[in-house]
Amino acid sequence: MKWILIIILIGTSCCFCQSISVDFNSPENIRKFADHLFCEKDYLRANFEYERLLGNDADDTLLFKIGLGYSFIRDYQNGNNNFSRITSSSIWYDDAKLQQLKLYFLLGDYKRAASIYEEEFEIKENKYSIESNKLNNFIYFFGNKTLPLKEEIIFPFNEDEKKVVSSFYDWKSNPPYKSSFTAGILSAVIPGAGKMYLGEWGDGITAFLVTGLFAFLAYDNFEADHDTRAWIFTGLGAFFYAGNIYGSVAAAQIFNARIEFEFNQSLNVYLSNKNYFTPEYEFCK
Amino acid sequence: MKWEKADFRYEQPVEQTRREYSFEAGSTGEFLIKSIANAYWFFISDVDGDNCPFRPSCSTFFIESVAETNIPQGTLMFFDRFTRDMNVVKKHKHYPRVSSGYYYDPPDLYTLNENQIEYIPPSVIVEDE
Repeated sequence: MKWILIIILIGTSCCFCQSISVDFNSPENIRKFADHLFCEKDYLRANFEYERLLGNDADDTLLFKIGLGYSFIRDYQNGNNNFSRITSSSIWYDDAKLQQLKLYFLLGDYKRAASIYEEEFEIKENKYSIESNKLNNFIYFFGNKTLPLKEEIIFPFNEDEKKVVSSFYDWKSNPPYKSSFTAGILSAVIPGAGKMYLGEWGDGITAFLVTGLFAFLAYDNFEADHDTRAWIFTGLGAFFYAGNIYGSVAAAQIFNARIEFEFNQSLNVYLSNKNYFTPEYEFCK
Repeated sequence: MKWEKADFRYEQPVEQTRREYSFEAGSTGEFLIKSIANAYWFFISDVDGDNCPFRPSCSTFFIESVAETNIPQGTLMFFDRFTRDMNVVKKHKHYPRVSSGYYYDPPDLYTLNENQIEYIPPSVIVEDE
């Protein structure tokens, strides 16, 4: 009796579990699944699902979310392609243009970023005109464009931001570079002095000691009439001397490259903390 | 096979094993530089051991510098590198490292071509060649 009941129970449960059919590929379910993936930050798979919907249920929110998804995974080019498909009649148009400005900025294509700003934010009305103006002004810090007046640059920023942007401006207009010419001259006068001028004290002192040692050995051997040895030490000393002048010039160039790298890095950190002056979207609440 | 003892080797390849001792060269100058480097490797470096704290090592740096520039400039680059090698207070915060722990200091930084300088911060670990 017990076995009969178990068999009936198992048999009927199998039937019931198949009785409700779910169409997992219906547009509603694909969208639900894509939204779930998007909120789980699985953007690539979410975009794959959203793109399946574009054929039959194309809407601008989908395009915007696809663009956002690509930008989150740093595929800026694909992000831009999707944002550019959003038409001017859409409620997402202004947001899409701001995102495009940000993505061109992140791609390092400052020329395109500036042209987007001019076409979409300067000439036309856009609800993000202040934000775009802020981001556009940062292009001056990254690129090699001539800096306008400080007042023009800091104008769109609020009081707290103005202090930081002002310090960026001062840095950009007067960067703390070191002259490679001075470094070379200093090392020519006193071996190693050029490196010390660049803050590389260990290398500078080493260069001074090595060149001095060979100069002394050459002098001492000439004094003792050991001409062959004296000329060998003279040659080696001359190479170390000339190598140090050359190295000081090269070290100044590396110093300046480091200064520029650190400046760009601090700009990127600041912009990243500010989310590039773009709003945070709450699709997952 | 799955449960048998695996034959792991914990040795790291050293620079000497990757050295190219041939005398093949495109020009007389290159042949001369290669001969000097080969002699240095064979009589001094291989006997002394893998002691250069930089990658590429000083002798390889010399060859690469000459190949990238010319003999006089490459020689000056080498003497500057050799001076920095002699600095006993190596700055850990100055050079990035390769994954094997050596300081990464490629000749590209010293050719005096500012556009060629790709600054790498010391916090970065560069993949060993």
